[in-house]
Amino acid sequence: MKRYPIRRLKKHRRVLSITGWLMAGWLLMAGNLAWGQPASVSGTLGAVGSDTMAGLVLRWGEALKARFPDINLQFQASGSASAPTALVAGTTRLGPMSRPMTETERQQFIVRYGYPPLELRVARDALVVVVHRHNPIDTLTLQQVDAIFSTSLACGAPQAIRRWSTLTSTTDWPYGRIALHGRNLASGTHGLFQARALCDGGFRLDISEHPGSSAVVAAVGESFNAMGYAGYNHLTPMVRALRLVDEHGDAVAPDERSIQQGNYPLSRDLYLYVNLPPNESLPSVEQAFLALIFSEEGQQIVRAAGFVPLPKHLRDAQRQHP
Amino acid sequence: MHWQRAGFSNVGFSKIRLSKTGSSGLWPWLCAACVALSLLMLVSLLTLLAIRGLGHFWPASLEEVTLNSGDIVIGQPVRETALPNGAGTERLYFTGNQEVTGNNWQWIAIDEISQQSEPADLIRVARTPWGDFIGRLVAVESGELRLTQHAAWAFIHEALTLPVSQRPPGILLLATADGRTLRQPLASVTHFQSPNAMSWGQKTIAWGQRIWQFLSEGPRAANTGGGVWPAIFGTVLMVILMSVIVTPFGVLAAIYLNEIAHQNRLTRLVRISVRNLAGVPSIVYGVFGLGVFVYGIGGSIDSWFFSDKLPSPTFGTGGLLWASLTLALLTLPVVIVATEEGLARIPDAQREGAVALGATRLEMLTRVVLPMATPAMLTGVILAVARAAGEVAPLMLVGVAKLAPQMPVDGEFPYLHLERKFMHLGYHLFDTAFHGEDVQAAIPLVFATALLLVLIVLLLNLTAIFLRHYLRRQRGNEC
Amino acid sequence: MTPPRLPFSRQPLRHVQDRLATGLITAGGIGVLLAILAISVFLIWETLPLLAIGDTFSLAKLSPLAWGTLKAALAAMLFATPIALGAAMYSALFMSARLRSRLKPTLELMEAVPGVVIGFIAGLLLAPWVERHLASTLMMIIWLPLSAALAGYLWYRTAASVRQRLPLSWAGLWFVPWLAGMAVLAMWLAPIIEQHWLGGDLRRLLDQRYGLDYATRNALIVGIAMGFAVIPSIYSLAEDALADVPPTLMEGAQALGASRWQALWKVALPTAGPGVFSAVMIGAGRAVGETMIVLMASGNTALFSASPFEGLRSLSASIAIELPEASPGGMTYHLLILAALALFIFTFMVNTLAEIVRQHLRRRYQRLGSTL
Repeated sequence: MKRYPIRRLKKHRRVLSITGWLMAGWLLMAGNLAWGQPASVSGTLGAVGSDTMAGLVLRWGEALKARFPDINLQFQASGSASAPTALVAGTTRLGPMSRPMTETERQQFIVRYGYPPLELRVARDALVVVVHRHNPIDTLTLQQVDAIFSTSLACGAPQAIRRWSTLTSTTDWPYGRIALHGRNLASGTHGLFQARALCDGGFRLDISEHPGSSAVVAAVGESFNAMGYAGYNHLTPMVRALRLVDEHGDAVAPDERSIQQGNYPLSRDLYLYVNLPPNESLPSVEQAFLALIFSEEGQQIVRAAGFVPLPKHLRDAQRQHP
Repeated sequence: MHWQRAGFSNVGFSKIRLSKTGSSGLWPWLCAACVALSLLMLVSLLTLLAIRGLGHFWPASLEEVTLNSGDIVIGQPVRETALPNGAGTERLYFTGNQEVTGNNWQWIAIDEISQQSEPADLIRVARTPWGDFIGRLVAVESGELRLTQHAAWAFIHEALTLPVSQRPPGILLLATADGRTLRQPLASVTHFQSPNAMSWGQKTIAWGQRIWQFLSEGPRAANTGGGVWPAIFGTVLMVILMSVIVTPFGVLAAIYLNEIAHQNRLTRLVRISVRNLAGVPSIVYGVFGLGVFVYGIGGSIDSWFFSDKLPSPTFGTGGLLWASLTLALLTLPVVIVATEEGLARIPDAQREGAVALGATRLEMLTRVVLPMATPAMLTGVILAVARAAGEVAPLMLVGVAKLAPQMPVDGEFPYLHLERKFMHLGYHLFDTAFHGEDVQAAIPLVFATALLLVLIVLLLNLTAIFLRHYLRRQRGNEC
Repeated sequence: MTPPRLPFSRQPLRHVQDRLATGLITAGGIGVLLAILAISVFLIWETLPLLAIGDTFSLAKLSPLAWGTLKAALAAMLFATPIALGAAMYSALFMSARLRSRLKPTLELMEAVPGVVIGFIAGLLLAPWVERHLASTLMMIIWLPLSAALAGYLWYRTAASVRQRLPLSWAGLWFVPWLAGMAVLAMWLAPIIEQHWLGGDLRRLLDQRYGLDYATRNALIVGIAMGFAVIPSIYSLAEDALADVPPTLMEGAQALGASRWQALWKVALPTAGPGVFSAVMIGAGRAVGETMIVLMASGNTALFSASPFEGLRSLSASIAIELPEASPGGMTYHLLILAALALFIFTFMVNTLAEIVRQHLRRRYQRLGSTL
């Protein structure tokens, strides 16, 4: 394992004035023992991007702060599409995204800086199709999912499915139209679902677009005839995730094993894009952050945040990367 | 003629007496109902917030439930809902132990429960990073020592009063409902409680402590736990900065409009448009702040002064300064209008008297007019603060962060970091409710945050109302 | 007698100070006013590139949002206007002075409840509740006004001693428990009515017989939530207008034999009409621009639908969730700024109209006050 060199920050020595002593005393009183540590990492760690990964990034930040108390973590979660924008505009150096960059986004970055962004896979996740917990439906094929959520039927379904009666034999419940819930346009969840479940087709217009995955899950959990898609880590006791039929014809439930091995059809990787000029090293804060992510502790945090850790070979391969 | 009129008025009088009860009909009652309905809505909203927000901190008792199948579940009952098609009801239990079961929750149909009790030895342990454990304490191991029962409890309670770094090394042996055991290092435990064994007094104390923790601590586990102190601090700091910016400028503009500018058609037009800007949606100000302050001015500052740090932005991203400026702009009309009203109420005789005694305009303004208008200005500023504290939409564009655990004020030069992002109560609420991981677990915290925000804003508004009331009464005596 | 003269040498300094301060205030004042006006300049400037492109397709993307904005505002106004105006009429003319001095600030405090709190309650609590209890909700909307009328009717029928203890002038207060009780009654009755007359399930009936779709977060929810937010602003302004009607007018009308309600309806309302109108306009302006409530309670579906049970998407909510992701200078960025401009122009015009009408009214009152 190659270790990230930690650049030592030279401490300003002009604090040996009265104010400095007062301040040092105050800091010590506050229990801030990092003052005397010579090789501490400090600085601001800024990230802009996916709100799906918000919990994960924040927990990593907390763990990092527990180790280096002088680190200042700032994270703005407003959707994966905001990451390339912020990277190109220069408002951040770290862009967590719940989907890979599109070619256009990558080109924009290259045009601005002259080199491509560094792409790292940091965890596994899945999109789940959720229904109310008492809904009798158990399994859907991807074609059915497409027929429910899209107008284009790009995955080859014969006709659109609008009513529960098409899916179940019970006439009693659920009934009526399927009330659809999803994410807003800027989110990676929206884009990925479009690419993987709708075969790049177009969404129906009457899907409720919520500004967060938990809002989707909350809405579906309270509504008997609703169906929605959300990130795996947002599952609550109010909803149930449906099994999906993979290309071999097996119904696969979204659980840790199937997602880690990639058997579940809508499993995905979570990415972290880094603005790293060639032949330069990152500031020490960002380096410590990346080191944490690929450590054993970092991958345990992945699990605690509700995601699925990377398979070991992927993790080892990427640790070598920068 | 005279008699006739008198007779007529007599009839009219009796008609009015009658009409007060009779012919007004039911309409006034409907109108009264409107007032009552508004009150009812306000009261139920506040009650809901208070009950759900404060109730969350009460140490809830834990239940041990035996199912018909023989399984045992330990957890805190959270809510009950009806099963579809009238098949009875089911109850949701918070069971904790996420790393063992992979899930924090369990639904149990009431019909499936064969036995239900509240044993006193059930415990609830808050830990990082895995959240709550619910079950039983078997023993505590500390070096060679192995403590059980009361000795173990005493040991834990004493250890938890110390900061993490000074705690004795120790491992809790915990047993889950289905008999599995866990080894939990004492260092990662933040809270230890046995709610069923607590008396009402103890519960009240624990309740108060948890409320205090909520107010004074930072968020934990990606905003799903812990407190809101950074958000309170961020909100207050932003509002203070905003009022520091808005007060002088608002007062300056009001003095100019009312005392110096010639009162003509143009001034009237300007006055009307300033008044109207108070009605422009806050999100529009947010757009302006993003486009002009963040991208425009912030980007330029970065390229002039912080070019060595690029592409990492310093001022070219949303931050405390830009948020305060945007909100200052948003509340400027409020301050201008309030100050102008105060200025307009001062009788011209006062000004004329000052000038007649030989004062220059500056002296007249600073010695006579401004002191008289101070309460009005103050009211304006408090109203502006109240409005700014509750605004969220523009902040989403110009600088709130989901989590900024380090305060914008610290012991590092230059002490006040205007370029940092900050947390805000209102945005924290929106974020926890809509972006959080487990919305079911986050909802009580959201209620508590909402209650806090409403209380802060109501308090500010009440201050403004009382100030105005006091002011009017004083002026009534003066004039 | 000559005025006391200050020492000659100090006078120029004072005058210089005065000049300087006047200049500073003038510069500062004009600067602040210009900064405020810069908003419109910025918005227009940033939308100019759109004109250069002349892309009508992307403009078409804004039209469902504009529709959604109007629909949300309309729903809110339908809920808020009757309640706010009713409350204003009652508290200006029927309420006891003592109660009024307490109640008016309380109702105005409603305005202080932040939008994000209302939106959260509406989106996560009210919306699921209404979905499960649609029949109860609709029944409450019909039943509560009826129950108020019923209370009035009962009041006229009861003994004078009871009437004295529960006077109309305090009804705003003692109606609260009555209405709460009636709401509970409606909730208890609705499932029974649903069972017997509506075939067991209102939503199924709506779906099967009328093909009406029901979305959890819909215009009805937005209307109630945003209505709650705009009631206080309408109420406060309308109440001011009504309470400022010169008392001589009302007294005259009553002296001529009109009942209090007739005097209100025939004299006070027409006189204060412009003020009431401007109150409603300002409420509409607020409803159009409100962001967090719509964002959290509307479902954000960009549909052209007039159904109160379907979702909507507003300009302000789109700006709030999409602008941070739009790259500056891009198409979406300019489009969203166009949306902001539309909001700005709309609210500015509505408010200007309201302001002009109100000034007109103020002059009318002054005239009336001086002639009578």
